[in-house]
Amino acid sequence: MIILGAVAPLGISGYWLRFITFIFMWIGLAGSLNLLTGYTGYLDFGHVAFFGIGSYGTGVLMVKLGMPFFPAMLISAVLAGFLAIIVGIPTMRLRGAYFAIAMLAFAEAMKQVVLEFDGITGGGNGLSLPIYTNYQFFYYAMLGTVLLLIGTTYGFENSKFGKGLMAIREAELAAEVTGINTLYCKLIAFGISAFFAGIIGGIYAYWMTFLYPGDTFSVLITMRMIIMAFLGGAGTLLGPIIGAAFLATIEEILWAEFKYTYLIIVGFIVVFVVLILPRGLVGLFRQRILAR
Amino acid sequence: MTKNFGNLIALQDVDVVLRKGEILGMIGPNGSGKTTLFNVISGIYAPLSGEIRFQGQAITNKKPHMICRLGIARTFQIVQPFGQMNLLENVLIGSMYGRGMPIETGRNKAEEVLYFVGLKDKMYLTANEVTTEDRRRLELARALATEPQIILLDEIMAGLTPAEIEEALKLLYEVNRRGISIFMVEHIMKAVMTISTRIIVLNYGQKIAEGSPKEMAENPEVIKAYLGDRYV
Repeated sequence: MIILGAVAPLGISGYWLRFITFIFMWIGLAGSLNLLTGYTGYLDFGHVAFFGIGSYGTGVLMVKLGMPFFPAMLISAVLAGFLAIIVGIPTMRLRGAYFAIAMLAFAEAMKQVVLEFDGITGGGNGLSLPIYTNYQFFYYAMLGTVLLLIGTTYGFENSKFGKGLMAIREAELAAEVTGINTLYCKLIAFGISAFFAGIIGGIYAYWMTFLYPGDTFSVLITMRMIIMAFLGGAGTLLGPIIGAAFLATIEEILWAEFKYTYLIIVGFIVVFVVLILPRGLVGLFRQRILAR
Repeated sequence: MTKNFGNLIALQDVDVVLRKGEILGMIGPNGSGKTTLFNVISGIYAPLSGEIRFQGQAITNKKPHMICRLGIARTFQIVQPFGQMNLLENVLIGSMYGRGMPIETGRNKAEEVLYFVGLKDKMYLTANEVTTEDRRRLELARALATEPQIILLDEIMAGLTPAEIEEALKLLYEVNRRGISIFMVEHIMKAVMTISTRIIVLNYGQKIAEGSPKEMAENPEVIKAYLGDRYV
């Protein structure tokens, strides 16, 4: 699989390269949300904020300070992680819908910040980045990030830290009285999760070469991350990968066939899958294996 | 030595002393503040006034996870298992976080405790898949895995059959024999009267009586609180 992923872009057309790079991007975003939401149970309706911070951070550092791509992206991703921890200190004391709403507001606030400081960010006119057309580079950058993310998720599955997060998800009060510093664990998970969203945002910015606040901080990006993670199976290693690949592929096929109605069909498929598979596509495979 | 190792607990005007190695029972009508007292001791609520001391050290405003790590574990009246995790992982949380063990030694400890409470055979089932009685055992196992000095048990026998209560009592005697002090809330009188070395009675948030099980059964204040004035 990895070898196939490594050599694939050499032999495929521009369309397929772009398509697969997008799938990696969505696997990365759904996976970053999964690190937080899947393991701690905190549903983040503003996760796009960290994608946006990664994007705009990279853009501003490259355009205004003439920084090369890699350091600009890394600094922005660290900033996204750091901001998540700062925002998390008050909001992670909230549970359930309250945390989700607070984060939704945070993402909107970040969009307004970008619009307001138009001297630096370009505001409503958007921000143009240096153009770089080596699309194989973006393919490998996204793939590399996804592999790093899979490694991190695997670590969550099998480590003391990850088990602690799951305990928080299952029964937070019991986790706390069993010796887990729940606030600290949640904040670290949030920071790691936002860091990955920031990396993806940075790569996306350089790839697209143009950023616009309304698109980069769109709540629809958050929704897609959530749908993909839950469609595949939140709190599992493979869930976001399967969910993102599945949804992106379905959309691409339907979009080619039904240009105007494809979103309606996609909507029905999502509702259908969620209704019959409450534990996601991964849950279906698990049941099959257990049934044998 | 026993005296020096004592633990003083004060909540408003409730004073409780739990001595090392004893089994202290707490009874009282519904809403008399028993669970609240546990929540204050374990750091979930901060007391309005007063102080909680453990081994001579004030622990009044410590967070629940710190109190657990210091050696005070608890169970919940309404069991709170980590539902989608298996029993081994549930107990592993106790040994890893409550006692600071790395995952490998934590696992050994968890298996030992699961064996002790009789759940070793089921350790790969998730907590959602086992019976209520097993979940109560699990609750106890998770607390024991933190290797506590004191364990606070909030009605762990509620809803059990007489045979299961016998089992539970044996288990608690064994826990106590291993040097763990027990402070338990229990509504099942036969059980709490049998096992406790001392009993305190709460009513309307106040301690109305304290003494041996026999004294409590004959105390007019206690009878009044439970049965009303006419029975005194």
